[in-house]
Amino acid sequence: MAFARMKSLLRNLLHKQREERELDKEVRAHELLLADENIRAGMNPEEARRQARLELGGVEQVKEQVREIRAGHLLEMLVRDVHYAARMMRRSPAFTTTAVLTLALGIGANTAVFSVVNAVLLRPLPYPDSDRLVQMWSTNPKANRWGMWTAYPRFEDWRRENTVFEEMATARTWVISIKGGDHPESLFGVITSSQLLQLLRVQPMLGRGFLPEEDQPGHDHVIILSYGLWQRRFGSDRAVIGRTVDVDQQNYTVIGVMPSDFRFPPELPASYRVDAWLPPAPDPSRNERGSNNYYTFARLKPGVTLAQAQAEMDAINGGLAEKHFEDRELGVKVVGWRRQVGSEVRPALLILVGAISLVLLIACANVANLLLARGAMRQREAALRQALGAGRARLIRQFLTESLLLAVFGGAVGLLLAYQGVDLFIRLAPDIPRLNETTIDPHVLIFSVVLTLGTALIFGIAPALQGSSTDLQDSLKESGSRLTLGSMRARARSVLVVAEMALALMLLAGAGLLVRSFARVQQVDLGFNPKNLLTAFVMLPPSKYPEPRRQALFFREVVDRIASLPGVECAGGADSAPMLTNDTGPVSIEGHPVEPEIQAERPKITPDYFRAMGIRLLRGRTFTWADSEGSLPVAIISESAARQYWPDEDAMGKRVKLEDGSAPVWRQVIGIVGDVRQDSVVEAARPEVYAPLLQVPVPYLALAVRTRAGPTALTVAVRHAVMEVDKDQPLTGIKTMEQVVEDSVAGRRFQMTLLAVFATIALGLAGIGIYGLMSYTVNQRTHEIGIRMTLGAKPGEILHLVVRHGMMLAIVGVVLGTVGALLLTRFLSSMLYGVGTNDPTTLLSVATLLIGVAALASYIPARRAMRVDPMVALRYE
Amino acid sequence: MAPDQTNLLQGTLHIMILKALALGELHGLGVSRRIEQITKGTFQVKPGSLFPALHRMEEEGWLESHWGESENNRRAKYYNLTGAGRRQLEAETKRWRRIALAITRTLETS
Repeated sequence: MAFARMKSLLRNLLHKQREERELDKEVRAHELLLADENIRAGMNPEEARRQARLELGGVEQVKEQVREIRAGHLLEMLVRDVHYAARMMRRSPAFTTTAVLTLALGIGANTAVFSVVNAVLLRPLPYPDSDRLVQMWSTNPKANRWGMWTAYPRFEDWRRENTVFEEMATARTWVISIKGGDHPESLFGVITSSQLLQLLRVQPMLGRGFLPEEDQPGHDHVIILSYGLWQRRFGSDRAVIGRTVDVDQQNYTVIGVMPSDFRFPPELPASYRVDAWLPPAPDPSRNERGSNNYYTFARLKPGVTLAQAQAEMDAINGGLAEKHFEDRELGVKVVGWRRQVGSEVRPALLILVGAISLVLLIACANVANLLLARGAMRQREAALRQALGAGRARLIRQFLTESLLLAVFGGAVGLLLAYQGVDLFIRLAPDIPRLNETTIDPHVLIFSVVLTLGTALIFGIAPALQGSSTDLQDSLKESGSRLTLGSMRARARSVLVVAEMALALMLLAGAGLLVRSFARVQQVDLGFNPKNLLTAFVMLPPSKYPEPRRQALFFREVVDRIASLPGVECAGGADSAPMLTNDTGPVSIEGHPVEPEIQAERPKITPDYFRAMGIRLLRGRTFTWADSEGSLPVAIISESAARQYWPDEDAMGKRVKLEDGSAPVWRQVIGIVGDVRQDSVVEAARPEVYAPLLQVPVPYLALAVRTRAGPTALTVAVRHAVMEVDKDQPLTGIKTMEQVVEDSVAGRRFQMTLLAVFATIALGLAGIGIYGLMSYTVNQRTHEIGIRMTLGAKPGEILHLVVRHGMMLAIVGVVLGTVGALLLTRFLSSMLYGVGTNDPTTLLSVATLLIGVAALASYIPARRAMRVDPMVALRYE
Repeated sequence: MAPDQTNLLQGTLHIMILKALALGELHGLGVSRRIEQITKGTFQVKPGSLFPALHRMEEEGWLESHWGESENNRRAKYYNLTGAGRRQLEAETKRWRRIALAITRTLETS
């Protein structure tokens, strides 16, 4: 039986014309037989034929019904519908281009955004079986800190005592300097415990990974190179394995080279490239239980859940808290690694997804509107097809096929746009973890195909329903239809335009809030002056400068030399400078013995640091080089430190102590300076306690060089000044302070720009939508307008009539959109700064903007209406 | 029209056409008149359902057709049962009897 159907299918497809002829003959013969019968029953021939036709119910209808049951009917219909749809598209190129481009914009932008979401949030980490990788945070519930890193000794205890993890490892970034050739080079390294590669299940391209004992003293002078470093510095020489290199003036043996696609840490943005991985040998803090500097991660054993791992880690941690003073307030949190990597950008990305979906909806409404307008013109065609035997389902299918074809073209062009868009996105985006992994992969393709089909349904369904519901009689008579179907269609189009207005308003409100926030951010008083300020880092290798005193003297000589350079006003340095570096930790206040640890910023600075940064001295004096080892221990505190530590007293002359492992001495407060935005432009200032570098030496300094003119011109001179003091000492991270500040708001700027672009597209589409509707209405009402004018209406009144109609729609849209915006903008709250989510000024301005655009879009067709010639209009019928 | 209703009607129509043709070949109008005759006018098969059913059954391989002369010398398409058609009629008859019996019983129990 199945075979018989197959045979019929082939016959139907191959001999379609013959089959059609046969069918026609058969049905016509039937009609003649019926007529014969009637004649035999005594009718006159004419009446007999009439009755036969009536009984048959139309040759074409019967034939259509037969066709519908034929094998391959659906396929054939589809092919025919597509052919027909393609012909319709070719016949109105302006319509087709507009619809396809609108859809391409919507689908393309959504695809691009999705491909980013896919790479950053959805795709597994680039290691085998990465779904079992977890990350471990130290927490301090008392201090309300939930995402602290971990001290190396603590990690070692965790690793030794746990039974739930296959492997556990830890890492931190570390700048190393490597010698060889004529200039020292600073490298971006990652120091890690020896389990790193086994844990990630990644093999080196050359050589081997770390052996278990290679994170222990005595075995730990080994290094694994990145592919890039191997190419750049070692000329891709395969014999590099086993060679000795000079790292921080010590000999390290090269044991491996990683493949070019290896990335670790995975969340490190693309603009950072890791040059080498090495054991924790260079880090003096690795034995300090109080220094939470390490980022710890692990691989769960098969079958172990996150909750089980958490439970065991809690138990281990409880034991450690009893044993070690430093651990007593610390907790631990185990989280999925992939989730963790995307967690910071997740809210921002989801907002983008929401915004771009609104744009697609507006695009759909616009295309639906175009289709409805065209449906009006095709009413006669639909009626004709119905008369020829096409059922309503058949017509709906036909219309949907046309929509689908439009969507497919739109989707194809959109995919091309997405390719370009993703590149642009990556180029303009600030540092987002894993952004560089963005590609149009099969998941993205599936997404865009589903999106395309869904889009076709969304914008195609209303026009299909409306287009197919023709009343045969009315439509064939043409004029009658104007009032009935025409007005129904106009109502559907009005609803769509109102929806577009509302959606556009929501987007505009969101974008408006971000723009206003950004303006506020730009006005923030940073507490320092980023103009004409050059910054760079110097990190002294402890092996070469083991003595703290010599470190401090090195820096003194460096800043003195830099300050004497032509074009330099003054120079200073600090181990903790705003938006560059941190030294956050506890301080003690004399007279508050039981106060819990107070976390402060504890910069060790050179005397001219405040002057170089432009930090205001409010009271007392700044440090001098005379504030050194032998003299009275002193400190300068920030305004908010003074306010917090001595709320009701004068802070001047009081005493503080840095709890940072340096000599535990009470320091007298000799000055108070203005607050600075330490962490970012938008985060409130924290208390700062400054100490003189000569009293508390550090091996690491961020330099601040105040220049008279463009600071970048001095880069080379500053670098040389450092090398004059020590020819092997590299300078890293040279940037202007303006750039640093800009980087810290880059994410915000990007988010704002994207949302503003989306909102502008939405505004444009909504404007086109209302323009299209008003033009259509004016055309439909030409006759009526003509009558009004004949009856004495002035052109101004006609203008008013049309514009008022447009305005009504816009106002309804704006009201609905405002309600929507009030509901949705709270999702933006984390991105806002200095404006409320329901900021009335923003809502009012975007509403005004939208109504203005709508007014303009209605005014153009209205002017056309005004110029209607009553005589022509009346003859128009 | 709900799909199960269509199936029922189509199934009924199929069995009547098979039965009508079991006695010999007929053209479309003949099939329709034969059914009226057998059912004493209860079922009147309109061309709109007759022709789709005939073509469908031919595609299933139950019927075959050829062009012939009608009683008053008109060209008409005549339909015949095939072997598969006869088997289908037997199977349908059995199935129908079973259903009819079941329904009758259902209605008789009270």
